[in-house]
Amino acid sequence: MIVLDGLCRSFGGRPVVRNVSFSVGPGEVVGCLGPNGAGKTTTMRLLLGLLRPSGGSACLGGPAGYLPEVFAAYDGLSVRAYLRFVARMKRLPAATVERALDAAQVREIADRPVGRLSKGQRQRVGLAQAVLGEPPVLVLDEPTIGLDPAQVVEARALVRASADAGAAVLVSTHLLAEAAAMCDRVVVLVGGAVVAEERPGDAADLEARFLRLVATAELT
Amino acid sequence: MTLAVLRKELAVLWSSSLPYVVGAAFQAVLGVLAVNQLEVRGQAVIQPLFPIAGFLLLFTLPVLTMRSFAEEARTGTLDLLLAIPVAPRPLVVGKWLAAWLSSLVVLAPAALVAGLLAMWGDPDPGPAVSGFLGLSLLAAALAGVGVLASACTSSQPVAAMAGVFAVLVLWFAHAGTATVEAGGLVAALSLSERLRTFAGGAIDTADVAYFATVAAACLGAAALAVDLRRWR
Repeated sequence: MIVLDGLCRSFGGRPVVRNVSFSVGPGEVVGCLGPNGAGKTTTMRLLLGLLRPSGGSACLGGPAGYLPEVFAAYDGLSVRAYLRFVARMKRLPAATVERALDAAQVREIADRPVGRLSKGQRQRVGLAQAVLGEPPVLVLDEPTIGLDPAQVVEARALVRASADAGAAVLVSTHLLAEAAAMCDRVVVLVGGAVVAEERPGDAADLEARFLRLVATAELT
Repeated sequence: MTLAVLRKELAVLWSSSLPYVVGAAFQAVLGVLAVNQLEVRGQAVIQPLFPIAGFLLLFTLPVLTMRSFAEEARTGTLDLLLAIPVAPRPLVVGKWLAAWLSSLVVLAPAALVAGLLAMWGDPDPGPAVSGFLGLSLLAAALAGVGVLASACTSSQPVAAMAGVFAVLVLWFAHAGTATVEAGGLVAALSLSERLRTFAGGAIDTADVAYFATVAAACLGAAALAVDLRRWR
């Protein structure tokens, strides 16, 4: 369960997140959409406690798996060693590492140093560390960035499987087709505020509504 | 959790070329200066080695510690750890332990000098033992300062420079204090004066406590600095 209640954050007096409230229930995938600078990443960082809110509150119903917009690991470690380190930090048994390797389909690169992986492979390692231990909450910032089309489909399946297993999943994305394919609900942020919260519908319909919402919000 | 951070830090640090380059440079400069001291003095004594090694550690430790938090903050790996959430304290202590142990590895070949002196002369073993203990404690304090500097910035060069500047101030804290009122108090903060006691063959618990206090204070401040990142 994820609950954001009147969340606010300012930087240098400039409001970046304004009174954001929504929730994500267990088994639900909610997409956080918005143009660049809409406050999506800041909202996620507030949710995870990486930033303190200026007002309001955010509540997670358990430990969260997090994939940042730009994922980085330790170049000198192998994928398996890195995931073992994350497992120790999360106080998880070593067996969870093997499950995460399979879930994110990175077993074939498990013994390669992270520094020698392609961008797409690194992103899959990022997904692996996020789903490590099957957390009840997943916060994924642009999870399919850098993935090829087949890997995008696999990543969507992984997100869906996590939700089907009971996780509350919040996904930020610029790709409306992805939101339409993956999300049960979308929250549209413009200028740091929620301007719509609805079911995504099909991709073309979502695109038309999104553009209309952004244009209207920017005019007001 | 501290142990896991320590193991990760050692694996990451020693998989890079940094400690090897730093260690080679440290030993090369130390070797040249130590041999020069032996030639000038014409005596098989180890005491002159310690202030030289101590001074070189002022530059070695900040370089070894500069990436500890700064690099993690720059790349975003620190955010992943804080989102878990991992408390700052085990992170800080694990990174400090890794830097300290690494500095001991860098320092270890200098012990060969003691062995060589024992082959050629009959040096007093007391100062050798206390001197290396003093260097180890100095390294612990310097690692603390370096980790603190790294925790305060996302730039490795800035962390290294801030660390070097801070430890240079502490090293030379005694300079000119004889002419100043309450100069004795300031001089008591001098790292070089504290190391001098060890190099002379004495182990003073006050000096041990001083180095431990510097390290502990810096680690406490570093944990606070990591926590304060959330308030930015």
